[in-house]
Amino acid sequence: MTIVVAYKWAPNPQDAAVRSDGTVDFTRAKSTISEYDPVAFELARRVADSTGAQVVGVTVGDASIDTSLARKAALSRGLDRLVIVADDRLAGADSTRIAAVLATVVRWIGDVDLVLAGESSVDVTEGQVAMTLAGQLGWLGLNAVSSVSASDGGYAIERDVPSGTVSMVVTGPAVLAASADAVLPRVPGMKDILGAAKKPVEVLSLDTLDVPSAQVTLTTVSTSRPAAGNRHRVIIDGSDPTAAAAELVGALRAAKVL
Amino acid sequence: MSVSSQTWIVVADDPAVSGLVVAARTISAEVTAVVAGRRATAESVAAAGVDRVLWLGEPAEGTPVEAYAPDVARTVADAAPGAVLGSSEGAGRVMLGAIAALLQAPVLSGVTALERDGDRIGVMRSVFGGIAERRDLVTGGPAVIALAGGEISDPTGLAVPVEEVTANALTTGRLTGLRPKEKAPVDLRAARIVVAVGRGLKAKDDLALITDLADAIGGELACSRPLAEGVHWIAKDRNIGISGQQIAPELYVAIGISGQLQHMVGVRDADVIVAVNSDKDALIFKQCDYGIVGDLYTVVPALTAALAAKP
Repeated sequence: MTIVVAYKWAPNPQDAAVRSDGTVDFTRAKSTISEYDPVAFELARRVADSTGAQVVGVTVGDASIDTSLARKAALSRGLDRLVIVADDRLAGADSTRIAAVLATVVRWIGDVDLVLAGESSVDVTEGQVAMTLAGQLGWLGLNAVSSVSASDGGYAIERDVPSGTVSMVVTGPAVLAASADAVLPRVPGMKDILGAAKKPVEVLSLDTLDVPSAQVTLTTVSTSRPAAGNRHRVIIDGSDPTAAAAELVGALRAAKVL
Repeated sequence: MSVSSQTWIVVADDPAVSGLVVAARTISAEVTAVVAGRRATAESVAAAGVDRVLWLGEPAEGTPVEAYAPDVARTVADAAPGAVLGSSEGAGRVMLGAIAALLQAPVLSGVTALERDGDRIGVMRSVFGGIAERRDLVTGGPAVIALAGGEISDPTGLAVPVEEVTANALTTGRLTGLRPKEKAPVDLRAARIVVAVGRGLKAKDDLALITDLADAIGGELACSRPLAEGVHWIAKDRNIGISGQQIAPELYVAIGISGQLQHMVGVRDADVIVAVNSDKDALIFKQCDYGIVGDLYTVVPALTAALAAKP
């Protein structure tokens, strides 16, 4: 029985530089485990502790995602082992390409009953890869998952939807995208970090994986910075709060906003 | 793969499709909807301004709509439309994922404009959380696009027939219950004025300061992500930003919010943005119309008082 955690090693766009032509330079931005992925690690570890399953981390991306810092960051989060595909041919890969590679790795690992993933990535923020991975595998895909526990014949799931909380039982392999607040992930302690060094890591070559090729492609016609937005940027000194409030309310009334 | 000039919309039991229909109409004269879920959803979509509705049949007791994703994908792939639009929220992503995998096509998100360029679809997108924009042309097959679903349309009066087609839903998931939320979710998109609070607020009890301001100004309460999902001081449906609601109120008042792009992307289209922050270098001061540099604990009560005073 194996639970896979599909996660991303990625930079925060807040740290990227956007050139005047709209292209984005991530070279000064440091990558970390993507913001909401620790939730998936935590859910996987808790379920595995109750069932005796193995937790395998999987991540795919360009060559820069395979560093000892990156490996340790993942392995210290409750993984039993780690599988990486790091190839510059995956630089800038879209969600369908990433999902296609992840699917071949999941099949290679074998005997996987659950893939857990975070809500969305810190850099791309689409929330799509996990559900396309479900499509690539032909498995049930569920998002907004707020709880996972082992249950007779499968897993009891809860999903957080606008109208309330849906409860489900999953009896076959599935890909679950966890909601960002499903659980508060534990912070890796010294023992986890030291233990990480002893856990196995396998690096798979993209050439040995039979990844379906893209059928539909994009041709970029232009890139640009977002329109600055013509905000007035009237700044008021708030050290005299009463005066500042009077000035602001006056301005908003004059502008017919209030 | 050659595609038709049709646009398809995929519906995962959510009848709020006005956004999808409007977008589809900008690029196609022929719009077909494939609906997974209850008959009532299919009938609502049939009156929402589409030309054709294919319905995958009433789900058997306990079958989640996500179980129909492979059927939806197969139906779309067989038709090979020029574009497929689905909701960027909830089960819409599951449908789009199955379609993307079957067609080996990217799902385009953050779309700000859609157009037809001869027999190709052109897409303008906001990328990397909103820091840049790109225009792409789609080649080799259908453009698969995630968009905000929109509203439930008023029936146009012209309801097309609902055509039932066979489906083989996945059987690996079963619904066992629904615990409704105690309060109905708030729709911040309908609010003319929104007052949002961020990490500048030090304690949950201090929220009274902000709600007093919201009441005085006639606005709805909202927040940045940390207050909804970090400390859970405010309900998730009031979170503004890339992972929450995107709104365009007449007035947006941001209290103790630094102005990170993941939040500001949620109010880019607000008419007027006001900020209160104690840090004169806060990012938000470059993205607001009016900003007060000061301590929210003194400025906010002063604003509440100034609003209560007769003009």
